[in-house]
Amino acid sequence: MSAIRAFASFVAAKLIALATAPQRFAVMVQRAVYDVRTGKRTAWDVTKSVLMTLFGLAMVLVLLFPLFWITTASLAEGSRLFNTSGIFPDPTTYNLGAYRWVIFESDFFFVDGDWGYPQLVLGGESGLVSFRWAGTETGPGALFNSLYIVSVTLVAGFGMIVPAAYAFSRRQFVGRKRILYGYVLFTQIGAGLSIATLVALYSLFSTYGLTNNLFILGLFYAASAIPFNTWLLKTYMDNIPVSYEEAAMVDGASFLDTIREVILPLTKPGLAVVLIFVWLAGWNEFIIAQTLLRPENYPLSVELYNIATEGRFSTPWTRFAAFANLFALPVAIVYFAAQRSVEDGLSFGGMEG
Amino acid sequence: MASSQLGTDVSGLSRLRAALPFSTRDWGLLLVAPGAILFSSFMLYPIIYLFYISLTDATFAGSVIGGGAQLIGLENYVQLIADPQFRTSMFTTWLFVAVSLVFKVFLAVGIALLLNHVRVAGKRYMRAAVIVPLGFPGIFTITVWRGMFSDARYGVFNTILGRYNELMSSVSAPELLLFDVPIGFLSGRWEAFFAYVTTEVWLAYPFMVIIIVSALQDVPRSLHEAAMVDGAGALQRFRTVTLPAIKGPVLFASILTAATSFQQFLIPWVFNQGGPSRQNELIIVYGYREAITFNQFGLSAAILIVGIAFVGLFMYAAVRYGGLAEGVGDE
Repeated sequence: MSAIRAFASFVAAKLIALATAPQRFAVMVQRAVYDVRTGKRTAWDVTKSVLMTLFGLAMVLVLLFPLFWITTASLAEGSRLFNTSGIFPDPTTYNLGAYRWVIFESDFFFVDGDWGYPQLVLGGESGLVSFRWAGTETGPGALFNSLYIVSVTLVAGFGMIVPAAYAFSRRQFVGRKRILYGYVLFTQIGAGLSIATLVALYSLFSTYGLTNNLFILGLFYAASAIPFNTWLLKTYMDNIPVSYEEAAMVDGASFLDTIREVILPLTKPGLAVVLIFVWLAGWNEFIIAQTLLRPENYPLSVELYNIATEGRFSTPWTRFAAFANLFALPVAIVYFAAQRSVEDGLSFGGMEG
Repeated sequence: MASSQLGTDVSGLSRLRAALPFSTRDWGLLLVAPGAILFSSFMLYPIIYLFYISLTDATFAGSVIGGGAQLIGLENYVQLIADPQFRTSMFTTWLFVAVSLVFKVFLAVGIALLLNHVRVAGKRYMRAAVIVPLGFPGIFTITVWRGMFSDARYGVFNTILGRYNELMSSVSAPELLLFDVPIGFLSGRWEAFFAYVTTEVWLAYPFMVIIIVSALQDVPRSLHEAAMVDGAGALQRFRTVTLPAIKGPVLFASILTAATSFQQFLIPWVFNQGGPSRQNELIIVYGYREAITFNQFGLSAAILIVGIAFVGLFMYAAVRYGGLAEGVGDE
């Protein structure tokens, strides 16, 4: 409950900051004008600031151009994208047809867009209370596969990363240095390594009968996320002074109290970053998923790849863009909101200087 | 009777305890073990198995699973060294890593300096905006870049170059400055390579920017002011104040992103499957292709083992000489 309230107040603070940004900007301009009038700053000094800001703005626009382009493309269902009219589709033809296709025709939410609703079944064969999809003939779509994989990845990943990071940061034990070195060696070898071992993975999974199993795939993604995130969280925890825990212990706190009252609250930004990275590990990967799963179990990432490579030389751009935007937007929004935490968490504490 | 039973039990336990290589203070190991075991079973075990496959003459997945493959020793590796495609792939991969690293570092340092400058208003919002690419799935952004690098006359970059040509012609610039549009970005070897590098730089710069910005923010302003009082120019201040502060983090980020670049698979695969005519197959694409398209599982495993070994050496060097694992040993 408190987590929900904290999240709500966080979002509210972000929105207020965003809404009042123009006002702060106006105040800044007024102050600059005032400073020039009273001779505190020269006109050239102010011009330099304006030019630098414009330069920064132009750079941001250039860097984000691809995302801007694909968003406009998603609004242009029915019109040809690569035509003589220019880079961007004609704004007068903007429509939401592609999004309608994603929601009501593609496999995004339900197979072939045949929407259903969850229904509780009392009694019956499969236990006292079970649950099924009603109103849909084709069943739930790729989103539910993705969500299932990601929840396994998150639960398994967090259950293993957080205690391990704590142990690495605060405890001495046999093999600590060796395991940590091993993790550091593997930090940057997540997705690439999975593809490299794909050949072996496929035969191993087939031998043990683990193909086409969403649960195992979720565990696999958690495993690939462990080295980097454990190390990240460990460096983050290293920056919390041990004296805080000692002070709490002097005041009579038990070992578990220090974890609950000192370690976890102070690692929140680090936990936020790990949450995002572990989520992305389960949400984005598709080569392994495509190899190990059968079509009825494909998650969103594989569906997206299939749309991108539908034709040998042509991608249905508008539909691809709409699908990709719906796929990426929730994550991108969370990421954007937690940007401060990402910056803090990724600074790797002791790495500087 | 019962007590003596208990007595022997206790002494047995304590003897057992003494014989174990760890003691109760090592219970931290229990917290680490689940992750380490999961990681080993899904990551290390497949690597060992991959090495085993590389020693066999397996041709397709069935022969690996069914046990129809024969151990042939290092023959796959011998074949690999003789394969000109392997040399092309290695060369292209290293070139890709080096070129993209250089551009990445310059771009990221430039962005970080600009978006940390006192004269730039709203820099916090701009910083939030520039690191957005990190939050999007690779398959999404890479496919978008492929669309922009389209070979078509009205592809995005070809249109931009066309506009640029018109502009330059209108001021009657020399022919030398014009581009020969449409450029086949995905159908020429070096054009495709250029497209790979551009995309890789775009994907990797946010990580570097984050790390450099946080290093820059740790430089006390008084240091800059002191340098200014001493009459140091902008360039000199960069060299004496800024550079020492960001050198470590830049090296650190370079090593990490270079290791990722070495394993880049999605860009070449989505763009043109490492083409044209297999000239741009980065090492992982090469290995994947041999298995999936040509059913050479043994050879493919050998290629991938070589690739993994290189990355391993890379990371080892980074740990050893780049100070990557600082703080691992000493607490």
